[in-house]
Amino acid sequence: MNETVTVLLDALPYVLQGAAITVTAVVGAMFLGLFIGVPLAVGQVYGHWTVRTLCGLYVWFFRGVPILVLLFLFYFGLFNFMGLNLSAVAAATVVLGMTSGAYQSQIFRGSILSLSKGQLKAARALGMSDGLAIRSIILPQALRLSIPGWSNEYSIILKDSALAFVLGASEIMARTHFVASRTYQHLPMYVSAAVLYFLLTWAGVVALRALEKRVRIKGYVH
Amino acid sequence: MANMNTKTPLMRVHGISKELGGREILRSVSLDLYEGEMKVLIGPSGGGKSTLLQCMNYLLVPDRGEIELEGRRVDPRKARELCEFRQHVGMIFQDFNLFDHLTATENVSIALRKVKGMSRAQAKARAKAELDRVGLADKGHLYPAELSGGQKQRVSIARALAMDPKVMLLDEPTSALDPELVSEVLTVIRGLAQNGMTMVMATHQMGFTRSLADEVLFMQEGRIIEQGSPKDLLAEGSGTRTLDFCSQILDVEGAGA
Amino acid sequence: MLKRAAFVIACLLCMAAGPALAEDKVLLNGIDANYPPFAYVDQSGKPSGFDVDAVDWIAEKMGFKVKHVPVDWDGIIPNLLAKKIDFICSGMTITAERAEKVNFTAPYWEVKNVFVTKKESALKAEEIYGQELTVGMQAGTSEAKWMADEKEKQGWKFSIKLYDSAPMAIEDLVNGRIDAAGMNYPPARDAETKRPVQIIGVFGEIEPFGAAVRKEDTDLLDKLNKGFEMLKADPYWEELIAKHLNK
Repeated sequence: MNETVTVLLDALPYVLQGAAITVTAVVGAMFLGLFIGVPLAVGQVYGHWTVRTLCGLYVWFFRGVPILVLLFLFYFGLFNFMGLNLSAVAAATVVLGMTSGAYQSQIFRGSILSLSKGQLKAARALGMSDGLAIRSIILPQALRLSIPGWSNEYSIILKDSALAFVLGASEIMARTHFVASRTYQHLPMYVSAAVLYFLLTWAGVVALRALEKRVRIKGYVH
Repeated sequence: MANMNTKTPLMRVHGISKELGGREILRSVSLDLYEGEMKVLIGPSGGGKSTLLQCMNYLLVPDRGEIELEGRRVDPRKARELCEFRQHVGMIFQDFNLFDHLTATENVSIALRKVKGMSRAQAKARAKAELDRVGLADKGHLYPAELSGGQKQRVSIARALAMDPKVMLLDEPTSALDPELVSEVLTVIRGLAQNGMTMVMATHQMGFTRSLADEVLFMQEGRIIEQGSPKDLLAEGSGTRTLDFCSQILDVEGAGA
Repeated sequence: MLKRAAFVIACLLCMAAGPALAEDKVLLNGIDANYPPFAYVDQSGKPSGFDVDAVDWIAEKMGFKVKHVPVDWDGIIPNLLAKKIDFICSGMTITAERAEKVNFTAPYWEVKNVFVTKKESALKAEEIYGQELTVGMQAGTSEAKWMADEKEKQGWKFSIKLYDSAPMAIEDLVNGRIDAAGMNYPPARDAETKRPVQIIGVFGEIEPFGAAVRKEDTDLLDKLNKGFEMLKADPYWEELIAKHLNK
């Protein structure tokens, strides 16, 4: 038992550095997913049928292919082919972000559709272009409504980020595995990793809930 | 108001038709709107009043027909022309359609800033003036969810007025309101009419129509069936469809306005 | 708001991409950090092991800078070919199949393969082949491939269960889910000192270890070959063996 505690304490700083890498990748992927997901959602709701089809294909592809396969496809295939020498962490961030973009677009799409159509009409009646109306009237509300879905998405990306290890990204899971291999303390190490992931999930959910509260509109019940 | 026949109309609607979901909602509707005039649309629901108003603002693009504002025609396929046109034609909706995430002041100022390019301070000052005009000077900081129905509709009127429209279209502005809130909105609209705002309004408020409308248009099945001054159409014993319809809704709604 | 977020994401990507771009001249050695005592991460989180120390010594003598990068063993050759790493010196067995894709240095070490069982088990190595047992092995290794090929040829009855690393196979052995594990001798020896398991006998062929480089990198291959020659002639070689392999 004593030996286990020593191993865990020794491993802590090392694994925590991995947590920093994990968080970097996850936060990066969340933002990338936001930047991909918002136009995708807008395209799916308001676009011409060709735009809708293209957006639909993107979502269909990234939802349909396992992340592990995508990681290999992009890291060893596409990125290399394009001459992009991304590090494992950067590549994993991009792939997780692109995948998350597909899922986030569905969150935003649902939020946009749940808003009353009248507000868009009112914006148009004031002489706003559709782009302006979407940017300044629809999205500010849709994004607020999306925060609970976002917090769900965060916990999913966080867990998916463990797969980045197959590219050689030195994140929580990889480091846990390395320490376990040296010390043969597999179970305690994996339990610690579980606790770490749990804490990160919790912190993210709390942060997003605080954000939700901060941007809440007075009296607004949707 | 006077001399309608010698002046050119401010807005001309000519032969507008519109099909929605395979049903013909508007069948070749025409009307001329003169400066300072107030026209009231009356008729059974589904008769095409709301569709006509939305077509007049190109919120719905008519299948056939033309709309002219001050002698100029708009090409609805050109987004820029369309946006420009809509700035001049204000619209008030039955269910207000305020922007839920913005305060009353911001609801009024946002288009001033983003469409008219005013500075933040200018837009805010103008928004305050417009809210003051509809009697809501002290409610500017409130969000739509904190306002009563009548207040919401007044904010939406202030929002439309801030754009300095040449014409205002009002689509049953009091229908969604509790009875005790109707008069505050009608008072604002009456004020507009008295200040010479050109308006087309769909409504069932008969007392209001009698006292303020220059012309009543009775719409049914996508057509304007009768039109004339309220005096003529609503005179006892005139035997018009309009009178017939109005007596029916008065029965249902009680003493109405 | 949008601009700020775009800036944040750009920064994150730069941070993530930084190491790949900035340290261009440092050669990257891909290691399987789940392969003690040849390659693992030590208590402070630094790569270490026999291969790591050997490469560090060679790099110093041959005048190049090196960094050891833990890579998933299954993908280590694709990583090399995709230039994510520059060479592999991590207990890699020289096989004809691998040699089609990469060039190997001369063998610098040889290992035999051994069966490991739980300490109290009475199973003998020669009894394994004829019984319906389960043997755990590491995926993507030469010994796992040899075992699968021979099993097919000889009609051996046991089945093979593949793991991500040899220590994982050891853990499942201790848990009683498999009857034996097959692996290189050094990690088996390492496991014996740390877990209630025992080596019961050898199998397969003696495996020569070599460092692997891309076919076109003949310069680096020469440097590594020369480096290993010098290292073997140096007293430090015995020191390394004593430190890592003969514990």
